[in-house]
Amino acid sequence: MSEQINYAVEPMNTIGNGTARVDAVERVTGEALYTRDQRLPGMLYARILRSRVPHARITGIDTSRAEQLDGVVAVITHENAQIVWGAGSVSGGRQYNDPIKEATLHRRYIFNNPVRFVGEPIAAVAAVDRHTAEQALSLIEVEYEELPFVLEPEEALQETAAQIWPEGNLAPDFRNNFEPMVTRRGEIDAGFSQADRIFEDRYSTAFIHNAQMEPRCALAHWEGDKLTLYTPTQGISNCRHDTARDLGLADHQVRIICQYMGGGFGNKNQNQDTDLIAATLSRRSNAPVMLEYSRKEDWLGVHGRWPTVQYYKIGVTNDGTVTAMQMNAYSGMGPYRKNSGGISGMDAYACENLERTIYPVYTNRTVSGNFRAPSEPHGHFGIESMMDEIAYQIGMDPVEFTLKNMLRPTDAMPFTNYSLDQCIARGAELFDWQARRRVTPGSDEGPIKRGAGFSFMMFRAGVGTSSAIVKVDGRQQYTLFVGVTDIGPGAKTTMGMIAAEELGVPLSQVDIVSGDTDRCPYSVGESGSRTTIMTGIAVVEACKNLKQQIAQRGMPEGANVLIASATPNPTTDGKVRNCFAAHFCEVEVDTRLGTTVVTKYVAVHESGRLINPQTALDQIRGATIQGIGQALYENTLYDRNNGQPLTSGYYSGRLATHLDVPDIEVEFIEVDDGYGPFGAKTAGESGIILSPAAVANAVSNAVGHRMKDLPITRDRILEVTS
Amino acid sequence: MSDPSNTSDQNSATVAPELTRREFLQTTSATVAATAVVPALVGTGSASAQQTGNDSTAIELAVNGVSRAVEVQDHWTLVELLRDHLQLTGTKVGCNRSECGACTVLVDGEPVYACSQLAVWMDGHSVTTIEGLASNGQLSVVQQAFVDHNGAQCGFCTPGQIMTATALLSSNPSPDAEQVKSAMVGNICRCSNYNAIVEAVVDAGRRNGGAA
Repeated sequence: MSEQINYAVEPMNTIGNGTARVDAVERVTGEALYTRDQRLPGMLYARILRSRVPHARITGIDTSRAEQLDGVVAVITHENAQIVWGAGSVSGGRQYNDPIKEATLHRRYIFNNPVRFVGEPIAAVAAVDRHTAEQALSLIEVEYEELPFVLEPEEALQETAAQIWPEGNLAPDFRNNFEPMVTRRGEIDAGFSQADRIFEDRYSTAFIHNAQMEPRCALAHWEGDKLTLYTPTQGISNCRHDTARDLGLADHQVRIICQYMGGGFGNKNQNQDTDLIAATLSRRSNAPVMLEYSRKEDWLGVHGRWPTVQYYKIGVTNDGTVTAMQMNAYSGMGPYRKNSGGISGMDAYACENLERTIYPVYTNRTVSGNFRAPSEPHGHFGIESMMDEIAYQIGMDPVEFTLKNMLRPTDAMPFTNYSLDQCIARGAELFDWQARRRVTPGSDEGPIKRGAGFSFMMFRAGVGTSSAIVKVDGRQQYTLFVGVTDIGPGAKTTMGMIAAEELGVPLSQVDIVSGDTDRCPYSVGESGSRTTIMTGIAVVEACKNLKQQIAQRGMPEGANVLIASATPNPTTDGKVRNCFAAHFCEVEVDTRLGTTVVTKYVAVHESGRLINPQTALDQIRGATIQGIGQALYENTLYDRNNGQPLTSGYYSGRLATHLDVPDIEVEFIEVDDGYGPFGAKTAGESGIILSPAAVANAVSNAVGHRMKDLPITRDRILEVTS
Repeated sequence: MSDPSNTSDQNSATVAPELTRREFLQTTSATVAATAVVPALVGTGSASAQQTGNDSTAIELAVNGVSRAVEVQDHWTLVELLRDHLQLTGTKVGCNRSECGACTVLVDGEPVYACSQLAVWMDGHSVTTIEGLASNGQLSVVQQAFVDHNGAQCGFCTPGQIMTATALLSSNPSPDAEQVKSAMVGNICRCSNYNAIVEAVVDAGRRNGGAA
């Protein structure tokens, strides 16, 4: 697109100023009430008994001793509590809705028989205190008829593999067809015949857990036929709708409250079995029930990022033009399909000839689901590693190779704006790319070697429907009602800033009510990089409406109020709307020990106009560091002999600590493309999409061997260097 | 970070039934008390501890500067005492097994994991929690720095981070970034807000003018 548009960002009053969170004081004084901090009179505590084996039919379950224990109030199992958890298993792996819940063939109940992974719920107990509930679990006797199990997705598709579902281990699509996900464009064979060289390789990525600090919990409380659920969720509106559907209630019979929650990164999308089990126990015991998961239960019982195996075949001409791209890949979904199993990244290239085949495969591991940019980081690692390797093989700078081949807007596919070139150029300059990369990988003398890697991305920043309500009272104080939950990025503050800007008042004049479905209108939920854009647009529209009312009727006085609401349905006029980024990473690898240290990291992002530069910065830094962890450390390992998970915790799961992370240098290129609230795009998922790829490319550049499997642990480095 | 080549996890062999804390203590209480897990806390200052029943003990401790006489069950951890019985829910439980640091409180000024201390060991000791840092509505220097530097994303690890930082500043009033990282290595932040946290603590040291 040669046409130059002025997307300049003019200064504003509130937006664009680094602003402390409106609830920052609550967060630093311990006053912020998270779900586990809630207390209701007569509240019981509940715990879950979980499968010890990866695959078994339950032939007997005896809860009588548990029920007789003093203080135990209710015990439920698959025999007396059969509730379908709709969002827990979805044909096609899409966010589920009424038709898909009906259609889903492989249904997941709150308690399943057979059990299909270590950690799957078998029974739940409510008791007067936590210790009694735990003790009761140990009194439940379960007889298992153990079944064969399978852990690896490729292995699971072999005919001799253990069968997890009657139709086999390939997860069905949303029409219950047992077909892989296939994308084709152009002529793949013709593309390969145009190539001078063809490169083929295999990459793999691990199951890693979201591992948000707050383990799953839920506090359920019934008043008549109305259920109130305090639960950590990334979307109160979706959580309410899903919970109501699963329990056979109308939406208005369920109230979801989530004021503060301790992170999610996709782990707390929709509703959870936790919510349904707590609600069921509360119903049976006629008392409020607080169900708590331990860290290990959260690790095994909820979900993490799907592990993948990716086979690529790429054709290039001698001048470095990609002519054909092919991928055959496998995503391990665990025994239920909670999400797509997607592997993205190839779409960032302009090559006309593409064929992508992904097999979402059932295994007897912990279920896979959303983790911050669900389909992206592992796919970008695969394709960016592939392209980085090709560039070095044909003697090109990977940055030049990218500039030659990356997707750009066309007349057929216009973008609202496109700033990838600027991101890459600015990043290369800040990082001093030419000086830091080794033109000959692994060429440093001696055992300690440095190298540099590069990656890029473009990611959806689409618009969509959400709602907001805004009110002004006789004191000229405004109240904004938005159904957001502040899971960490700072949505409450962001929404308040957007309202203050549009209303032309200071942020202190805007109170924000959020996190309660009985007080707030629908919001899209804190997932998919949507809240700032979609709920933000609704806030702008509601405030515009309120300003019109004020202009017509004057400011309210006394007990009068004016109220405006908006549920806009914005579009991007058929244009692609993306955010953009380029990352540059330098590492130092000690080839004697296999250790890797990130010595410099530069991230240049275009996320439209920044609403709150302070929280936007920390979204990028935090996500980038999570991606470094995915590249170098994290893996939920299983014992192949008995199907037992081995690394289900912070220590053994090897989460990065203060000492493991570098300073992430972030620069934003700000634009206003005319869409989104004041031109804002998204920042939440962006950073993690491309950081594993940048780190892996840097390690490969340092050691002179292509690192094809994540995480790049010491043993994997020693394997290639010693 | 554990050794990347070490994939064993002694606690992961089974998921359920896990040995409950009560059972564990019934079988091993003597051993636990005798081990050197918390040498500074075990067996000291227990002059007032009174065994009041089969499994409970009356203790006296100071919590956020206020003397409290409480009867604790012997299997209660410190974090249970604080959260469930003293209504101090600012201290969070992230792992309940000494891996994440979310439950960090100060005992006699030293940062400890409250999930891994028995409440009964607190007899005669002084405990400071996140609720005890602000005075007369005035945030502590560390708390204010966390506000100003966006030190909390989801906020769940924040109380623990702040407690460890507070202890650090009392022994080293103006630490540099490397010193902060070393002192706070036991406090995991999955939002990975590490850069902002370190900036906050370094700045808190500067604001202190070198005096904690």
